[in-house]
Amino acid sequence: MTETNIRKTTLSKMHEKLGAKMVNFEDWYMPVKFEGVIEDHTWTREHAGIFDISHMTEFMLEGPDCIPFLKHMMTNSVGIGDFAAQYQHMCYPNGTVVDDLYIYRESAEKVRIIANAQTLETDGKDFNWLKEHIGDYKVNITDLSLERTRFAFQGPETLKLLNPITDTDLSQIKRFRWCYTNLIVNSEKIPIFCSRTGYSGEDDWSDSLASFEISCKNKYATKVYQIFLDTGAKPIGLGARDSLRLECCYALYGNDINNEITTIEANLGWVVKEKEGIKFIGQEILLKQKSEGPYKVSVGLNLLDKGILRAGYRIISLGGKDIGHITSGTFAPTLNKTVGLALINSEYKAIGSELDVLIRGKKKRAVIVKTPFYTRGKKN
Amino acid sequence: MEFPTDLKYQATHEWVKIEGDIATVGISDHAQDQLGEIVFVELPDTGVLEKGAVAANVESSKAVGEVVMPVSGEVTAVNENLEDEPEKVNSSPYGEGWIFKIKMSNPSEADSLLDVAAYQATL
Repeated sequence: MTETNIRKTTLSKMHEKLGAKMVNFEDWYMPVKFEGVIEDHTWTREHAGIFDISHMTEFMLEGPDCIPFLKHMMTNSVGIGDFAAQYQHMCYPNGTVVDDLYIYRESAEKVRIIANAQTLETDGKDFNWLKEHIGDYKVNITDLSLERTRFAFQGPETLKLLNPITDTDLSQIKRFRWCYTNLIVNSEKIPIFCSRTGYSGEDDWSDSLASFEISCKNKYATKVYQIFLDTGAKPIGLGARDSLRLECCYALYGNDINNEITTIEANLGWVVKEKEGIKFIGQEILLKQKSEGPYKVSVGLNLLDKGILRAGYRIISLGGKDIGHITSGTFAPTLNKTVGLALINSEYKAIGSELDVLIRGKKKRAVIVKTPFYTRGKKN
Repeated sequence: MEFPTDLKYQATHEWVKIEGDIATVGISDHAQDQLGEIVFVELPDTGVLEKGAVAANVESSKAVGEVVMPVSGEVTAVNENLEDEPEKVNSSPYGEGWIFKIKMSNPSEADSLLDVAAYQATL
């Protein structure tokens, strides 16, 4: 790595020792693969994998106005109970997306946020956006990103591997709930934040298949990684993290949502909820698009011809009109076919309709299919 | 990593095997390792292409690698097995993973290709 400013997580050295191929991702020195992207992917679908997601950001909101402040900043309801988690979009006034993130409510006066990684150039984007909007709300926000290490522990064997080493019965944690617990190793207790959420699509609400995301103080990070690996779970790279999420059609910030695509255009209308008494940023345009339908919209594609879909490729209607572009594409290992998400003119969005993707100047035929491409136990 | 000494190479990571006026082309062990698992090989159409033209594309789950014509000539054969088994480029880059064959129009162009030592020096 020649980049001088590239940032490392507390786990970088261990990834190297484990044989990871390390790359520069968003100015972070991260593992893109361990065994291989497809092997990592398949292992996670069939067993359980550990992901280093410490490049993501983590904030704590505290104060009596946490809930009204979040209702103002976020598009989803925020109407969750203590120890529950909720997927959110934080939008600009024009409805395009500042970031997508999770909120984790501890109490009406204490809420954690875990959001996307930032490049060196965008560093502090979410934190500053939140801070700038606090105004008269009685809320204090702290950036925990650099003092904590974040993991995802995902896959059908997660509960079986993780539950014996925690002092909470994790099978009692429902989906989109979280807890504070301890990892117990040789009578040592390591405190962790443990949330039943994920980005792999391997949690299907049945309590035997729970997957988790975990955060701990940096001083415990390498020990926690080793404990997780000792359970038999394998380390997984960001390459597989991307193909796993895309099979499930989970949006990726920077690709499928960004400061030029609204939440409604991204086909995530369920994340937009009108709230009693409080207007949220972007509300006017998002509610209008939700009721009238947006001009452009995200659809799922299967490539019928051979090839791989990649972000940026243009979409051409059968009548020859340029109608949009691919926002994410990959070879989907679980489905053994090429899939992608495309943002296209809504007139063309009907499932089953065919269109062409321009790949290196050649038209390749694709068909619009139902999303997600994959739900656990079911392949579309 | 393996680099057979009886082959010629380009700095863009193609290997070339010269037999008479026929050049067989593939990508080096280094190139396949950098790309990672190959999931698709876009084979060239048969026809005449100039040295330096992009003849084929090798795609892994994360990246696209171009296969550049090492010499001018007519593409006379493509490895159609790669349509169903693109991973052969990973497992056998110099054997079953060959990509296409060229009938050279100007065999002297092959003289400017790199030998194994010169290629390894570029890595």
